[in-house]
Amino acid sequence: MRTRALRLVAARELRDAVRGRWFVLAAGCFLVLSLGLAFFGLAGAQRSGLAGFDRTTASLLNLAVLFVPLMTLTLGGLAVAGELEDGSLGMLLAQPLTRLEVYAGKYLGLLGAVGAAICIGFGTTGVIVGLYAGGGDAGVFLGLVGLVLLLGAATLGMGALLSVALRARARVIGAAFSAWLLLVYVSDLGVIGLAIARSLRPAQTFVLALVNPVEQARVLGTLLLSDRLDVLGPVGAFGIDTLGWHGLVACLLGTLAATAVGTVAAGYVVFRKVPIA
Amino acid sequence: MIAARDVRLVLEGRTILDGVSFDVARGESIALVGANGSGKTSMLRCLLGFVPFAGRVTIEGHDVVRDGVVVRSLVGYVPQRAAFGDASAAEVLAFVATLRRIEPRRIDVMLDLVGLAAHARDRVRTFSGGMVQRLALAVALLPDPPVVLFDEPSANLDRDGQRLFYDLVARLRAGGHTLLLASHRREEVESLTDRLLHVDWGRLVAAPTPSARVVPFPARGERR
Repeated sequence: MRTRALRLVAARELRDAVRGRWFVLAAGCFLVLSLGLAFFGLAGAQRSGLAGFDRTTASLLNLAVLFVPLMTLTLGGLAVAGELEDGSLGMLLAQPLTRLEVYAGKYLGLLGAVGAAICIGFGTTGVIVGLYAGGGDAGVFLGLVGLVLLLGAATLGMGALLSVALRARARVIGAAFSAWLLLVYVSDLGVIGLAIARSLRPAQTFVLALVNPVEQARVLGTLLLSDRLDVLGPVGAFGIDTLGWHGLVACLLGTLAATAVGTVAAGYVVFRKVPIA
Repeated sequence: MIAARDVRLVLEGRTILDGVSFDVARGESIALVGANGSGKTSMLRCLLGFVPFAGRVTIEGHDVVRDGVVVRSLVGYVPQRAAFGDASAAEVLAFVATLRRIEPRRIDVMLDLVGLAAHARDRVRTFSGGMVQRLALAVALLPDPPVVLFDEPSANLDRDGQRLFYDLVARLRAGGHTLLLASHRREEVESLTDRLLHVDWGRLVAAPTPSARVVPFPARGERR
């Protein structure tokens, strides 16, 4: 793989993505929602005004694990399927580029756009909270932004995999939305149901619960915010008892990164064989 | 220059190409003619390594599957339906120029050549079908490749565009380029090429055969 070719494809993809309406919408949504959460975060305490970093980070964690997978699954889903349908992928592949350069370049370009949308949205909120509220640990807030980027990388890889596997825009959008429901809502219920029905041991439940990248990010975010074991529930407590705080963080970060790399690699393996119209 | 040997292409269980073999000499201009769905476009897709096929295709001695990047650096491709994402015409050409290390000033020359100089900064999404086709011509010819593949190249062009295309093909032939034109309009490509290859049902045939698949539309008042 030639880095120059990879850089060119990534820059082309980033430029096209940033010009799209979704980018303005995503960055705007992140900004409005995160600012809203920072501002109304103290409503429960009968107070108004901007909350500090800790409370804002806690609120943003729930927002991020909900919206970032939705955005990246659909965006990744359209990465190949959309261009395959309109013919622009054929124009790109008619150039002296390998399929690996095209696939990896498109993925990195989109990841750059997702990162920019997240940094604009959450970053602006972070600056405003830092200037006008201040309290709490800004490092934790930055940690959350990094974590959200890693989650975005993993779910973007999943979306791109769906894109090359299904290859039709309508099918991919349906599959991306189903995958989002599965990751965000259904998998939790599934694990709980399975744990009860099969009387799973804590280790089995732990592994099963953390197969889902959204769950990995949620637990990592919780670990960022609190050292208390009870907030993680019995499965998290089992993880900390077994691996320790650092071990659990390393394990989750590794798994999340492996999910990103694994889905991109799997997507490329499928993409190599995709016939181009 | 181009050598195709026993090319077989099966997609989704359907045989698209069935043992196609031919040679194109350097500087020769060849037309692939045949009815819609006969396999012309699929043959071009094999030459570009777009589809997994059995058999062997080489361009300038380079295998299109093993040495895909080298082969595509020798080839310009004008598809039947081109698209360029959300870029402007100048950006599309700048991408190709940077990738292929071509002097940037050639971008303006090509835009001028295909009559799009006034639309260099416009988004391709706002272009008509004919303008997109002109841009596809500019993209294909920007690196001045020794081999150019055309797939129904004048299908979207108006009369001026067609004249431009015929003129370009004549200049490319005079310049010693190797050309392969796929078209269902034999009369259009006959004068532009040295010889014709007839494709029918995924096979090369000696002469065009009346296609049994085409059922004539009944005349008014006539019942099927």
